Amino acid sequence: MSKVVGIDLGTTNSLVAYVKDGVPTVIRDNGGDALVPSIVSAAADGTMYVGREAQRRLLTEPERTVYSVKRFMGKGIEDVQDEARLFPFGVSGTPGGVVRIGLGDREFTPPEVSALILRELKHRAEQHFADMGEIDPEIERAVITVPAYFNDAQRTATRDAGRIAGLDVMRIINEPTAASLAYGLDKRHTGLIAVYDLGGGTFDISILRVEDGVFQVLATNGDTHLGGDDIDLLLMHRVLAEQGWSQPAERIQEIRKAVIQAKWDLSDGESTDLLGKPITRAEFEALIRPLVERTLGPCRQALADAELDPSQVDEVVLVGGSTRIPLVRRLVGELFGRTPHSELNPDEVVALGAAVQADILETGNREMLLLDVTPLSLGIETMGGVVSKIIMRNSTIPATGSETFTTGVDSQTAVDIHVLQGERELVEDNRSLARFKLRGIPPMPAGLPRVQVQFQIDASGILSVTARELRTNVEQTIQVTPSYGLTDDEVERMLLDSFEHAEADFAARLLIDARNEAENDVRATEKSLRAPEFEEIARAELGPGEHDRIVAALADVKRVINETDRELIQAKAHALQDATRHLAEVMMNRSVQAALSGRSVNEV
Amino acid sequence: MSSSPAPATSLQVCRECGGGAPVDVHFCPQCTKILTLGRHGDYFSFLGLPRKLNIPAADIEQRFRALSRQFHPDFFYNATPAERRASLERSSYLNDAYRTLKQPVARIEYLLQLENMAARSPQEASKQVPPALLEEVFELNEELDAIRDERASGAAADVWKPRLERARAPIEAKRQSHEAQLQELATTWDTLVDRGASAAERHDVLEKLRERILERNYISNLLAGIERELNSGGGPQEKDLTAL
Repeated sequence: MSKVVGIDLGTTNSLVAYVKDGVPTVIRDNGGDALVPSIVSAAADGTMYVGREAQRRLLTEPERTVYSVKRFMGKGIEDVQDEARLFPFGVSGTPGGVVRIGLGDREFTPPEVSALILRELKHRAEQHFADMGEIDPEIERAVITVPAYFNDAQRTATRDAGRIAGLDVMRIINEPTAASLAYGLDKRHTGLIAVYDLGGGTFDISILRVEDGVFQVLATNGDTHLGGDDIDLLLMHRVLAEQGWSQPAERIQEIRKAVIQAKWDLSDGESTDLLGKPITRAEFEALIRPLVERTLGPCRQALADAELDPSQVDEVVLVGGSTRIPLVRRLVGELFGRTPHSELNPDEVVALGAAVQADILETGNREMLLLDVTPLSLGIETMGGVVSKIIMRNSTIPATGSETFTTGVDSQTAVDIHVLQGERELVEDNRSLARFKLRGIPPMPAGLPRVQVQFQIDASGILSVTARELRTNVEQTIQVTPSYGLTDDEVERMLLDSFEHAEADFAARLLIDARNEAENDVRATEKSLRAPEFEEIARAELGPGEHDRIVAALADVKRVINETDRELIQAKAHALQDATRHLAEVMMNRSVQAALSGRSVNEV
Repeated sequence: MSSSPAPATSLQVCRECGGGAPVDVHFCPQCTKILTLGRHGDYFSFLGLPRKLNIPAADIEQRFRALSRQFHPDFFYNATPAERRASLERSSYLNDAYRTLKQPVARIEYLLQLENMAARSPQEASKQVPPALLEEVFELNEELDAIRDERASGAAADVWKPRLERARAPIEAKRQSHEAQLQELATTWDTLVDRGASAAERHDVLEKLRERILERNYISNLLAGIERELNSGGGPQEKDLTAL
């Protein structure tokens, strides 16, 4: 039987994991890197690059490179017009239709761009299984995660992306809930858990009760437009305000990269350098505080929906890269009155949970069961533009609801139905999911037909609709055209399209692998050089000229990394590894000693 | 929703082997396959509960978890399409049953519906002033009109808000006394069920439950109206909790 995997399709990074001998495991590249940047770049010859290589091309060919595509999933052009200006790539579309993203010389829908990322992850996993000597390394099925607060259109778009990538999407599951499954493996929890998930582009809060191995979500809330990207934007505005707003796209991406580095630095240190200007953590926190505080409202609402006080929550779990920011930890800790958990890597925990869910589906293992809820109420338009709710938010899924309609005119044979999602009273304030016509009602006097429309939300949180005329018991056929989605035919065609565009050839792939490894070395070295204890180490433990040799080797790698000569890149990368071997040993010894003396490495 | 009380004999038919099964079992006693959800039965029998109103919360939770473990779609992923469909339908019905029965008021409303005692439509129920509330509603409306006039002529929020709060107090008190009455009637209903009381006796209690529920819903709407009035001063009309 072929393997099944769990995929975290993130705004910034994506990962793939699977269950190996009962233990969920993230699949890494040869350089030990688990993260595939969710970036796609089209070369002039039509070759598509995904991940680290695409990330590098963001600096050299920003107009041909797409990132943060998750923000466009299930959206119409009218939803994203303001935001689209901030991206170097083109965003277009006709009102009421799906967004189109310019990538190279073609336009793609967001599910197609996401499919390219999924295919890269699929490839990575298949490579891994082939390397392990599996007879059948092919991956056909996967569980994919989405933010808990994703609506039906966004979930459907994610499922379509999987299908376009050639994957049978076993289940769409929510990121915070997936994370709780991964945590559940380590200890036998019983009690109330809050999962706070602040990722690259989205924020979720889920409150769960765990008992007898059942992970039951009581309430969920969030903001599908709030994450690390927004923090980066605040810092970029600060820089652009000083350097001038009109900058070439390449420069914008350089600034973006520097800003992200500064953000990371300020999670460990008290101050850092941002493009030649010092910035302290206090300044950074003052800048981002309003953003972080915006996450607290959804937290309180989820608690209220679960009928709980913050103090009743037994454990708080942090998920998502943005929870590394000390201010986030502090504010979450204050709200719940306890120190949040972060034992597992916040970048990897969602993929691990998705792998656990894939394994449950594949094996029928009944030790653990996830019971999730629908984040938003589902309703239909009634007289006067008011929404009548049929399935309330925070209902456990799968869930059903039904509503009976009748006709207003004699011999009327069709009724228009408008399906919406959201909490507001008026149609215009909610998300339009679909409009459809109920046809084939037998001609009868007005008010006599009784058409029962049944709404079914499945375990992936995705809606389907059936209808039946109760007097004649005639089943209706409903053609639901999603407001911001793709039809089955379109998905089918895109699937075929993707076969026509061959992936980068073998040589290109080897070059990319070499660059990725070299980049890992660069990152590790730069991190060591920035470490607070580095100066002391350099003084006490490094030989004469050793520091200079490291800096020179580092510069060498950075100089050649975008060359096309794979062997040159590898040679320079190996030279850097040699130059830093002693430093790495020294730092490793110090952290081991720190751990043995009972202090965390960060405190040293 | 079928409203006739279901006898506990063979009412489900297994699509797999054609065998019969009682209404409150979920797997075919003959071939052990999951049963397709039939049209008979109700939320109480589905959860294996008597049609009573006082149910300990922990009991409902425990039954919900145990049944979820039996037929959640997770465990039928590799099963036949018919079994997958049966699992989806049965799980959906379980979740709907759980959501309804875990809330005491929704539980009473559901019982009334089962016993053919529900209000004809929610709109109808909320528009008519229940006779027992006529006096309070009349006074409240007078006071609300006066407060609106006051606001229209520019009174400060710290003048009209406390007045509105005071107008709410008698309605709030009425709600609390209703909760107590509902609780008492629920207990009476359960004793009638236990001793197999006559249909007439049951009907009498159901009628009272129905009246109290209609009044309670009316009171809730009044309180929600006052709440809206309170929040409409200064700040945004409605708090936007959805961020689509």
